[in-house]
Amino acid sequence: MAELLASGGSMEMVRAAFDNGADAVYVGATGWSRRRAQYEMDDDAISEAARYARSAGRILRVAFNTLPASSEVPLFLARTDALRDAGVRDFILTDPGLMMALKNRHPDTILHASVGCTIINVQDALFYKEAGASQVVAECRMGKATMRRIKAEAGVGLEVLVHATTCYTLLGRCTMSSYTKQGHHVDERGKDHFPGSPNRGGLCYRICLSDWDQVGASGELEASGVVLPNRAYFLADDIPDLIDLGVDTIKIQGREYSVPLVGRMVRFYRDLIDACVRDRAGFRMDPWRERMARIVADRDVERREKTAGLISESLDR
Amino acid sequence: MHGFELIVSVASPRELEGTDLSPYDAVCLGSPYCRRVEGNYAEELDLLPGVVSLLHAAGKRAYVTTPAVPREADLPHVARLADAASDAGADALEIHNMGVLRIVREKGRRVAVHMGAYANVYTHLAAGVMRDAGAVRVRPNAEVSLEEMAILAREAGVEVEVLVHGKIPLGVTDRCFLLTEPEESDPKCPSACREVHWLTSRQWVLKTVGKGVLSGRDMCLLEHLPRLVADGFRVFRVEGLYETAEYRSEIGAVYRKALSRAFAGGEFAVEDRWADAARRHAPRGLCNGYSFGTAGRTYVGTVLQDANPEV
Repeated sequence: MAELLASGGSMEMVRAAFDNGADAVYVGATGWSRRRAQYEMDDDAISEAARYARSAGRILRVAFNTLPASSEVPLFLARTDALRDAGVRDFILTDPGLMMALKNRHPDTILHASVGCTIINVQDALFYKEAGASQVVAECRMGKATMRRIKAEAGVGLEVLVHATTCYTLLGRCTMSSYTKQGHHVDERGKDHFPGSPNRGGLCYRICLSDWDQVGASGELEASGVVLPNRAYFLADDIPDLIDLGVDTIKIQGREYSVPLVGRMVRFYRDLIDACVRDRAGFRMDPWRERMARIVADRDVERREKTAGLISESLDR
Repeated sequence: MHGFELIVSVASPRELEGTDLSPYDAVCLGSPYCRRVEGNYAEELDLLPGVVSLLHAAGKRAYVTTPAVPREADLPHVARLADAASDAGADALEIHNMGVLRIVREKGRRVAVHMGAYANVYTHLAAGVMRDAGAVRVRPNAEVSLEEMAILAREAGVEVEVLVHGKIPLGVTDRCFLLTEPEESDPKCPSACREVHWLTSRQWVLKTVGKGVLSGRDMCLLEHLPRLVADGFRVFRVEGLYETAEYRSEIGAVYRKALSRAFAGGEFAVEDRWADAARRHAPRGLCNGYSFGTAGRTYVGTVLQDANPEV
């Protein structure tokens, strides 16, 4: 059965996610994941979360899925060594070099290739398998035919994000945010958080969600109020198909959302997946839509508030 | 490699026409953004033997780029493209996607591989993985600073290519932003991306080419060339895609002269006519910030820092 993977932006959120039925929870190591530090966890908190996961018979996955500087590789190895000593075996990575280094150093680790790898075809999946990944995250707009091929031919697990609001560009291949604003924050361990670069430090100012005008060569206005497409893919409606397809992990993002909202989201997807698996032939989506709509509305309110704050933060004063 | 190599990107015969290639040592053929770009050398495989021969006869190296985001349905074409580039005698294939790298490796590495701007090379370890898969050269992601690039080159044992001038690649997608209908039926395709379109919001300007987002400002490392030489960089690119023939010709001429002077050693100063050309061809200003670890759109330096008409 497909694993339900939920977000853990704090210890409180980790507990809420597990308590509401998540099979696995991912957390970000401070300075090393695709969210800003306030939604990441230090080693003590990660160890506590890992203990909680083990006590519940579940999995805690730790994201080191930013793309660091070469000079930070020793920091990565030291930190993953320490977490492994604390019992963590599951890691989410983006850089294929870091994947190989960690797998060679600790063959018992379980590595997942992050959404930041932008895996869009079966050959991509095979590349990251060779780099040490046992599971790959599908690019957010991957078609189901490609998913089938990866399942059939690549010999790796497949993870799909549901209800993720995708980027205008391909996630992992965008530097629009850091083009407008990027700073440096070196923490006490020596890790640069590269604020402004989602690829390098996690904080994205989401400037793509600003209102844009399209202007021609001579400055003539071609279109005003242009919206760069930023839609959600793979909604709850797709879950039965994803289960049929043999997807190994269904992931719901949300480290930046409130703990109650994440708890409701996890419970909703847990109930939906269980109902679908219990009676696949008789499963109908209609009864679930109203509950889903309420969650989506609340989520969008929280997201809009966060986005407005991020865009404002990115402006030069 | 003796001296240095200056590369220009050219998508199609239309872009090649009128471009003075004399300043350049190598031409990277094709657009990685969209297979539907008219005359795209990475799509029109029949064009490759002729243009590669032409470049070789002129003493230039010929590289061929590949689609930056090839979906599953694109891979058969990419495999044919790799064969066609090799058969045509191309000197290297530029690759942005790890799946494509794997395909070329599985074909027996018939052609040298250069990792392109969208390959997301940030660390020497990643460059090492790509080297082991056949890459001899990498262009680090735009966000990687010059200081990091020097480490990467030293530790990974691969050539590092530096973008010295032109629009910075900021994002890529596989749906054309300039079209309102599916690309097969929209009458604006393929002409829409031949025209210049800017996206403006608040204090920002970007350039859209349909499936790609580029910087509004032009990367310019003119005044920093002596540092690049001192740091050991030898491979430089002028981004010529979606620019005019005059842009490619004049900016190339500036960098040929400037790099020659920087490599000769001794005193180096940006000549007024070089600065004028850089300013004239950058209506939205100049930048080089990623190179020095700051935001990409900032300009670090003392010579052309005034060339920013935007806020």
